[in-house]
Amino acid sequence: MYCITEEQIEFILNDIRRNGIETEDLQYNLLDHICCIIEQSIREGDHFEDVYRQVIKQFYKTELKEIEVETQYLLTFKNYYVMKKLMMISGAFSAFVLLVGSIFKIMHWPGAGILLVSGIASFSLFFLPILFLLKAKELKSANDKWILGLGVAMGALLCLSAMFKVMHWPGANIMWIVGLGVSSLLLLPLYFLNGISNPDKKLNTIVTTFILIGVLGVLLTLTQIGKSPADKTAYEQQHVER
Amino acid sequence: MIFSTELLKGTLKTIVLKMLSDTDRMYGYEITQRVKELTGDKIQITEGALYPTLHALEKDGLVTTQIEYLGKRQRKYYLISKAGKGAAKERVNEFTEFAQTIATLLDIKTNMA
Repeated sequence: MYCITEEQIEFILNDIRRNGIETEDLQYNLLDHICCIIEQSIREGDHFEDVYRQVIKQFYKTELKEIEVETQYLLTFKNYYVMKKLMMISGAFSAFVLLVGSIFKIMHWPGAGILLVSGIASFSLFFLPILFLLKAKELKSANDKWILGLGVAMGALLCLSAMFKVMHWPGANIMWIVGLGVSSLLLLPLYFLNGISNPDKKLNTIVTTFILIGVLGVLLTLTQIGKSPADKTAYEQQHVER
Repeated sequence: MIFSTELLKGTLKTIVLKMLSDTDRMYGYEITQRVKELTGDKIQITEGALYPTLHALEKDGLVTTQIEYLGKRQRKYYLISKAGKGAAKERVNEFTEFAQTIATLLDIKTNMA
């Protein structure tokens, strides 16, 4: 049987590395496989390199790198379906509990606090982070990922600050102001400039930016309204005292 | 007739697990040869599909590995794990049922036409 020399092994290894096989494990798997095929199929008088070129061609459709990509895909997306399920469950749970909690709050029924806290906590600490992980995998550019990450973080911060506010915990106001400030002064301009440079996303970006400005405007107004009853009471109290 | 890779894609894990549960250990090339032999060349597993699947099975803990050094070459042997044995059984059963269902389904369609 034909025996492949060390130089030929080196040659094959270099060639598959050059063609995009980066995982070492996979390199040695393919090397052994190629050697086996060559040893079985080479005839006397055949040129090693010609046989190698013939063999390696059977490994892919357009390029060898496909095997590396497919391997990485299978390894990293192993938990994809579990995560997707978890996202749906935490999303549904948050929405339901939040809705029930707010009804309880309006009606001044007991248990509103615990419902609102668990709803908001699961929304901002489970649903949003999982959503980010799944979406980030679909995005190719690093800029898109950063903006998505910042957006998710600010969304979570605003939700948590609303929770702190409802529970009268300290730090709610500062979280609210940081959340709104970063969203309107950093996130929104970054989102707009990044999206508008891509012709495919231009219209979508503009429309979404308007919606976001509207939402942020409403939230800012609410900040003012939220303050006024308390201020008013303080003011009235002062008057009463006088 | 040689079956297309698209048709095989969903069953590759089942095939590999079954092959490994019938022997002590196998390496990649051996698996492709064994499948070819058993199916009379009708099923030819491509390297591009086999190795990603083997790596995924290893990560899932369904197979374990042993490495042997042949000079500068390394040969990685795959062995079925306990969890893999269970998975193989389950997948083979599932596939049998699937194949029967498809057979019934397609028969009904032919009869109707």
